[in-house]
Amino acid sequence: MNIQRISAIFEKDIKDFMKNMMLLTMPIIPVVLALIYDRMGDGEELPLMLIYLIVGVTFSAVTASCMMTMMAEENEKKTLRGLILSPASFFDIIIGKSLVTGLITMISLAVSLMIIGIEPFLNVQAIIGLILLFLFFLLLGIGIGLFSKSIAATSAYLMPVMFLFGFTPIIYSLGLNEGGMTIAIAETFPIMKAVEAHDNNSWSSIGIIALWVVGAALFMYICFKKTATDD
Amino acid sequence: MENTIEVKGMRKVFGQNAAIKHVSFNVKRGEIFGLLGPSGSGKTTTIKILTGELGQTTGDVKVLGIDSNRFGTADFKARIGILSDNSSLYERLTVYDNLKLFCRLYNAPLAHIDDMLREVNLEDERSKTVSKLSKGMKQRVLLAKALMHKPDLVFLDEPTSALDPGNAAQIHRGLQKLNEAGTTIFITTHNMEEATVLCDRVAFLHNGELQELDSPNVLRYKYSTHAFHVETFAGDKLVIENERGNADQIRDLIASGQVKTMHTDNPTLGQIFLKVTGKELV
Repeated sequence: MNIQRISAIFEKDIKDFMKNMMLLTMPIIPVVLALIYDRMGDGEELPLMLIYLIVGVTFSAVTASCMMTMMAEENEKKTLRGLILSPASFFDIIIGKSLVTGLITMISLAVSLMIIGIEPFLNVQAIIGLILLFLFFLLLGIGIGLFSKSIAATSAYLMPVMFLFGFTPIIYSLGLNEGGMTIAIAETFPIMKAVEAHDNNSWSSIGIIALWVVGAALFMYICFKKTATDD
Repeated sequence: MENTIEVKGMRKVFGQNAAIKHVSFNVKRGEIFGLLGPSGSGKTTTIKILTGELGQTTGDVKVLGIDSNRFGTADFKARIGILSDNSSLYERLTVYDNLKLFCRLYNAPLAHIDDMLREVNLEDERSKTVSKLSKGMKQRVLLAKALMHKPDLVFLDEPTSALDPGNAAQIHRGLQKLNEAGTTIFITTHNMEEATVLCDRVAFLHNGELQELDSPNVLRYKYSTHAFHVETFAGDKLVIENERGNADQIRDLIASGQVKTMHTDNPTLGQIFLKVTGKELV
């Protein structure tokens, strides 16, 4: 890893990000949602599921979406090949490109959580859960961005990511059978495991989110290797 | 002289099709080497193998003394510069910001940016957003990007294809200067004039096979008919074979003051390519 190369990619990305209206508007979505939920709560504490819905929206609509768009644009415009052919390593490129998304996600999540009340997140499992969720959505976003080849194609992949992984808590409001297969599957998804870890201080749930992160990392690595050469 | 590129029995197969069929050649250190061939002949595949973007199916490839299985290392990448059809710029950023990124990635001094902008005649556009540049200007920024870290070896895939003659000539002068400073240049081009002016040696690639490899002058001599082409003031065009028996005829033409022009047969590289491969170099 080379700090100068990472900071060069970060500096380039932040300049590029500030000129990209599409990406600039994404971090506003969770903040607006937090404001709406806060008004609906009438001063009462929001249920954990709703709080995690905002977390899910932040990670899917900001982290995954920004990363997908940025990587797909690099891929589509062939600028990624320039980075790959430079002395920058795989980690220099991935870390450099993730820093901007990380920064924007942090700002968007912090503002959203401050609106609805940040106190529930001041415990170890919740913080570790949030970090792992961030990594999961980040790696998934990079992988899909590399895989999708064009910015237009990312929108087709973003919807399933948002509904499956970002909005998972909504499943309880669909009136499905509580003991049914769909709910059982949904409860193994990262956001649901983060809720469980938060609620029960459960380390096993954190372990399952970590497995999702490993899976997303593998997916991203395979996509990167396929993009790195023309073989 | 030490070889910068060594290729022995290189073959590249895509599915059932062999894009490169057992190609062998060396490029000497400090040389400008031209790879000429029509579209689809395997030029870009060759450059991609030499830069590590593609792996060869069989054969040995060494660049700068480094074996092809180590082309992914930072040390190798820092020593080469590439301008290919895969090269691109960040459209929303300025020319300076684009070059600054690559200066920092290659650990080159930022002062090189202004030097390179001067070389490619784009000093006045340094603060312009890339999306506002013409195609030719973008090509010159890409060239600056490829050369900015003063690499030992540069791969240029059709470097002047989008440039007007004036800018192309300036780029040629810049490349010659770079070469005089010791940089080896591997160039692919359709432009025969460019190949003749720039290249120390050229190779003809056709259907994935090397057909000829030598200096442009040697090739022109080899494929010349050695005949004299004479045009008289009366408008007659004569072709006189370069044979001892024809010396009197030539002497008489000169003595009688009839000769308007007289020159030996010097085929262009394009004509030689057509003769060797049966295909136009387009």
